[in-house]
Amino acid sequence: MISYWNWPKVLGVGIGILLLFFPKMLSETHINLSIEIFIFALYAVSFNLLWGYGGMLPFGHGALFGVGAYTAGLIFNHIPHMHLLLTLLMAALSGLVSAMVIGFFCVRLKGAYFALLSLAFQMFLFALAWKWRDVTRGDDGMGIVRPSLHLPGLGSISMMNINNLYYFTLIIIVLGILACYLFLRTPLGNSVVCMRENELRASFLGYRPFMTKFTVFSFSGIFAAIAGALFVLFTEFMGTNSIDINMSMAAIFMVLIGGAGHFLGPVLGAAFYTAFQDWISSLTKHWWLIMGIFFIVVILYLQGGLISLLQSERIRFWLGGQNKSANGKNTESRKPV
Amino acid sequence: MERILRVENLSKDFSGLSVLSGINLEILRGERHAIIGPNGAGKSTLFNTISGLYKPSHGKIFFLDKNITGWPIHKIVRLGLSRSFQIINIFPKMSLFENVQNAIVSRFNQRFNWNSLLDRNGKIKRESERVIELLNLGEFRNVPASELSYGGQRKLELALTVALDPVLIMLDEPTAGLNTEETRNAIQLIRKVTEGKTLIIVEHDMEVVFNLADRITVISYGSILATGTPDEIRENSEVKRAYLQRIPNASSG
Repeated sequence: MISYWNWPKVLGVGIGILLLFFPKMLSETHINLSIEIFIFALYAVSFNLLWGYGGMLPFGHGALFGVGAYTAGLIFNHIPHMHLLLTLLMAALSGLVSAMVIGFFCVRLKGAYFALLSLAFQMFLFALAWKWRDVTRGDDGMGIVRPSLHLPGLGSISMMNINNLYYFTLIIIVLGILACYLFLRTPLGNSVVCMRENELRASFLGYRPFMTKFTVFSFSGIFAAIAGALFVLFTEFMGTNSIDINMSMAAIFMVLIGGAGHFLGPVLGAAFYTAFQDWISSLTKHWWLIMGIFFIVVILYLQGGLISLLQSERIRFWLGGQNKSANGKNTESRKPV
Repeated sequence: MERILRVENLSKDFSGLSVLSGINLEILRGERHAIIGPNGAGKSTLFNTISGLYKPSHGKIFFLDKNITGWPIHKIVRLGLSRSFQIINIFPKMSLFENVQNAIVSRFNQRFNWNSLLDRNGKIKRESERVIELLNLGEFRNVPASELSYGGQRKLELALTVALDPVLIMLDEPTAGLNTEETRNAIQLIRKVTEGKTLIIVEHDMEVVFNLADRITVISYGSILATGTPDEIRENSEVKRAYLQRIPNASSG
């Protein structure tokens, strides 16, 4: 029966139902962990638009996460009565504008130069966050108070209640990931994949590489910034940890672990990265060492990421999965390497 | 007949090394124009310069009465110029259908469309299928382009070029690497898919060139040696001197 229903869909619906009931089933610690996973899932998906689909690997994606975080943090502090959704919108806009400025310069470059220029922009923004103490409070950061969400008909929903925060984050993240998914299904999304596959050929078919890459870079910035804003809302703290180099590396590792080879790979990667880190850091203070070894193993032996394990033939067989194409190879090439 | 492409005094240097100098060329609407010349004569450089891949060092290029000199590639393509490559240039990881679809999406001006799903009304699919059938590639529809045979990839290269429904088609050695039988089929196919179009073709096989072309331009050492009908080229004494042994029936005809 499962093969008839197409097992990924069954799995998806199952996980979806589980997610709805998590707050009833889990302890507060685990709900907190779930929220963190959601936030990083959106962040990783936004990163995968660039790396997995656009073929661009930025080292400074954390800059966009950080811009969203600081925008939201400053609004929470200085305009506490602003509607929460409007704050998220402002964060999204700040991400869009920053990504447009950074992307305008970066997408002209390729490979290492692209990666390093994006990193340079991040270092600049990090320095700004660190040194402009009057506004950002530098490395001390700033605590924030979670505002309530006012919705017509539902009144005021307190974000201090962890269950409310859970559902709020879940809804925003699902909408964000859905937007990214739909984006990739549009002709423009297809153009992005063409850039990755063969930019020169695409140009000779009439595609304009700069505009295509610039657009996906900007679009991706929106969602990285929303994730950053939710991160501040969740941690109740605005600090340089949201804009430092580790945040960029986290995106790379999450996508790498999950697998850039699939749209949902980064979601899996974010879940694994966050949960695994949470778990081993409770076991040893040398947890980074273990993470490091783990990354090395993934890079060496599991380049398709964890999702490639799910896609492997044996597991598909056990799950009664989809048939392969006649020549035994997966011909769905929209999926990245 | 209407001129659709005019190249005026075109030169191209690479770090001081002159590859093309003083090229003047006119292409008329509807003609099949072949460019021939020994290896290293500058044929591909001429192609690359006209199609926007290289910026000319001197000179001007007019296409459909517009000065396209220095234009970016995509703009030239959108004006109606489409080219193939000597070295296969396709989307290797995409299926053959997806390859052609990319061209059709562009032709229907959907490249930047972000507010509807790809091919919602099936129009792009229908047109892609039509082009695939035109090239007799139907059975390989779902095969990743990298897994096609060399001949198949050559056909796909041609498919991508004609799928844009361009005004001017430029084919850079479309039979390179094909055997005699495949070359014959390829030429038939080229005749079929470029019917009623303007064609510039670079080709090494002189049999093919003299059968296919309405006019021929001979390039040697970066300059044009002669331009004319196949008969005129056969009779041209300079061409005979530079290129005699290659041209079929040159001594007798």
